[in-house]
Amino acid sequence: MSGRRAVTVAERAYAWLLRGLPTSLVSQHGREARADFSRVVRAANESAGGTGVIRALVPAVLDVVRRIPVEHWHAHKERRAAGTNGSSGRNGLWRGEEVKDIVSELWRAARSLSRRPGYAGAAILTLGLGIGANVAIFTIVNSVLLRPLAYPDSDRMVQIRHHAPGLGLPELNNSPGLIQLYRDEARSLQSVTATNVHDANLTGGDRPARVRIVSADVEFFDVFATRPLIGRMFNADDVARDASPVAILMHDAWRSRFGGDPAVLGSRIELDGESTEVIGVMPEGFAYPDPSTVALVPAWLNVDEGFGAFGIRGLARLAEGSALESATAELEVLQGRIPDVWPDLQQTFLDQAGWAVSVNRLRDLTVKDIERALWVLFGTVGLVLLIAGANVANLFLVRAESRQREVAIRSALGASRRRLASTFMSESVLLGLGGGVVGSVLAWGGVRLMVASDLRGLPRLHEIGVDAAALAFGAALSVLAGLALGLMPMFGRQRDEMAMTLREGGRTATAGKGRYRARNLLIAGQVAMAVVLLASSGLMLRSVLRLSAVDPGLDPSGVLTVGVAWGNDRDREATTQFYDRVLEELAAIPGVESVGAINALPLDPISLNGGSFDIESAPRPDDAIPPTAMYSAVTPGFFETVSMDIIDGRYPERGDHLGGPPVVWISEQFARDHFVNGAIGERIRFGSDTIWADIAGVVSDVRTFGLREEMRLMAYYPLATTASADRSLMRFAVRARGDAAALLPSIRDAVARVDPNVPLTSARTMDDVVASSMAEMSFTVVLLAIAAAVALLLGAIGLYGVVSWVVAQRTHEMGVRIALGARPADVRTMVVRQGMIVTIAGIIAGLVVALGATRLLASLLYEVSAYDPLTFIIVPIVLFAVSLLAAWLPARRAAAVDPLTAMRVEG
Amino acid sequence: MRKKVKDLVPLKAQWFHVLLALGAGEAHGFGIRERVEERTGGAMKLWPATLYGTIRQLTERSLIEALEGDDDPDDDGRRRYYRLTAFGRQVLQAEADRLESLVRDARAARAVT
Repeated sequence: MSGRRAVTVAERAYAWLLRGLPTSLVSQHGREARADFSRVVRAANESAGGTGVIRALVPAVLDVVRRIPVEHWHAHKERRAAGTNGSSGRNGLWRGEEVKDIVSELWRAARSLSRRPGYAGAAILTLGLGIGANVAIFTIVNSVLLRPLAYPDSDRMVQIRHHAPGLGLPELNNSPGLIQLYRDEARSLQSVTATNVHDANLTGGDRPARVRIVSADVEFFDVFATRPLIGRMFNADDVARDASPVAILMHDAWRSRFGGDPAVLGSRIELDGESTEVIGVMPEGFAYPDPSTVALVPAWLNVDEGFGAFGIRGLARLAEGSALESATAELEVLQGRIPDVWPDLQQTFLDQAGWAVSVNRLRDLTVKDIERALWVLFGTVGLVLLIAGANVANLFLVRAESRQREVAIRSALGASRRRLASTFMSESVLLGLGGGVVGSVLAWGGVRLMVASDLRGLPRLHEIGVDAAALAFGAALSVLAGLALGLMPMFGRQRDEMAMTLREGGRTATAGKGRYRARNLLIAGQVAMAVVLLASSGLMLRSVLRLSAVDPGLDPSGVLTVGVAWGNDRDREATTQFYDRVLEELAAIPGVESVGAINALPLDPISLNGGSFDIESAPRPDDAIPPTAMYSAVTPGFFETVSMDIIDGRYPERGDHLGGPPVVWISEQFARDHFVNGAIGERIRFGSDTIWADIAGVVSDVRTFGLREEMRLMAYYPLATTASADRSLMRFAVRARGDAAALLPSIRDAVARVDPNVPLTSARTMDDVVASSMAEMSFTVVLLAIAAAVALLLGAIGLYGVVSWVVAQRTHEMGVRIALGARPADVRTMVVRQGMIVTIAGIIAGLVVALGATRLLASLLYEVSAYDPLTFIIVPIVLFAVSLLAAWLPARRAAAVDPLTAMRVEG
Repeated sequence: MRKKVKDLVPLKAQWFHVLLALGAGEAHGFGIRERVEERTGGAMKLWPATLYGTIRQLTERSLIEALEGDDDPDDDGRRRYYRLTAFGRQVLQAEADRLESLVRDARAARAVT
């Protein structure tokens, strides 16, 4: 975060916090306070940057937090002084007396807490951590999973997909023909739209840009139930073949590129070199599929294509009153009509392919990958809050213990049970509320941080923010925590027990058995929860390690990748020439070792073609299901640059890609699966390509679709050979001597020398490409690891606190034991043993729970069993060791007790 | 209802320092903060919530008052100036006397030098 941004964030946080002060004060002096704080924080930023901002923010925030109760008390006194002559007596819900009692009880508690800042601070901070983590994750869960998509009636929006596992195509979109079929026949669907997302070159401005475009047809606006803010929707003429190009701008793009001027209607922009008329602007907040979309363009649906190409995303709106299930059922029935509509398709072929259709809510598909991880995290932070609560409960019990005499005396003097309860209650409620305030601030900062760091793999990121619901959730948590804490000391305590305490006069060296039991249970529970969290994060960590050990099949170090978007590649010759010249220019840059390009970069394939292929030497019978593979377009130098090995045959050469005899390279697995006796010289052909190409080499396998994904059969064509690979954007890989990233400006210049209108896109080091292939998992791992570390720390602190307390309570007993001849080592062992018995009980309970709980993680793990023995052995050992330390420190103190001093304590 | 001088002493430390700062002449809030910080060698930093909470209490008790009508229009009216009232000066004087006699007592008892 830059300094200036930090200042703005700090100023806003401060202004927000000031609102906690009484309105009378804020209205009089709020502006001055904000201005003064700005002055301080700006000066701090100027002199010491971000750390300066934090050093100024922390005392200022503490100052406000400290003043909030004080100022409210003053305001209360003032109101009372003003109201003594008025009628502020009985007309409220509460009688004045009761309000006074509650306020004075709270005031007393606040004062008593402020006398023990260490205790109050520890409790508030601990609760704040727990509540903050929960509010933060709740915010994400709420924004991503619970809140409906930002379109009217979005529950009725569904996506249609097809499946043909028998063809090796587990997931297929829609073909124009099928969209037409559903449009005509499906009565449970109110409207069906064919959309697609692609990138295009936006030129004509000061700098060419590669932008995201959504193609849509007329029914798009009905499916989304959204009209343009100004201008018009697409009509039937727009989506006809050879219609003159038009576009509807997104609101953000309209604002940033055209200054929000309504006169943009009728003006022209250039998309992929084609002059396009702007006919409308979508309303603010419309962001499909995400806010990076710049414009909508009409989609021409070629329904004459037959069963057709399955490149279209099919979205639909359920008809009023029809359920998802009935729509699914209706579409399943419609699949039976396929052989009628397209006579060249046999039902037996469909059966062999395992043909099926599925209908899912758009929202479910949007969040499906992250849903499990988010719920797991939500459960995790819930556990952290419980652990934090247990810790505070322990502190609170210790404190209640030390106040036994006070309670007993007040009880003997006739204070009612209720009055006594309210003493504890008001203190715990204050602690809870303090924790809530701290937690909300932490959550607010944490969520901003998460959104700002632009986590990959988190959908709907732009919609995430701490809102009223999240704050209400935080408030509810803090009140609940406060009430639960306050009830604990009163639990099971009887009046005569109090009387007994008074008689005992606190002289006995040990507390009652019940107290111990409660505290031991809390500790054992904490340890158990820490085991669950450590085991979960351990499993995730092992998965990440496994994943990062996966060989991507190439060497990413020292390689910079950058997309060069020629745009439309209708002219094959010109396209090939262009990329060839770019290759030459890049190779001439000083410091460049090698350079090459591919249209589908391994691990980050933006576009990838695939289909069925034939082998010339092994013709297949007509009714057999053809084998399938993916293919991409590659230039000479690419394999060398990313260190993909040639297993057999030769590397691509310049002659291949400028149009020599058609050749192709295949992946190792391709060769293994289909050419047992050597692949070189065999000829293959992909479906629509009519050219047979010689296999000129076999290349080592790479994880084209990402580290987690299965290897797929790959074929690589030189630029000139294949007609159907999409070459509008080629990803160039540059290997440099030294820092490749530093070459970016020279690369930009080199491309501009070939054509200044061609934009560069997504410049990233290959290392970064590999890393982001694990991004989703890293997100879960990082949060889980933080939660587990907090749990371990809190658990250790809790155990330490309790053992220390026990030691302090039993100082006298220890002294007696030592005086009677016990060796210090014996005393130490005794104390440690007592702590460890509780720990071991907790560990065992935790392991049992963890074995059940980690099953929920199974789908997030990578090649690690949910019962991974290594994790389940290490976790208890770690916990045992940490607990041993936590118990040993106070035990050492116990053993050092001087018997004389100990006896005197009693006297 | 105005209190008597002796009801107000001893003064809280922040009150004393704010009054002392204004004793040197009128100042706005931030100026008070700077003067106090300077005088105490950085030992007392009046952060805004404490500063304005104190200013309000002192104003209510008529120890200080805000200057009206002197707002700089360019300044958004943020910099309100404050000055000591005659009563405030009496209270400050009483507190200073009290402190002085305390120190005198301590010296007389040879507890300090």
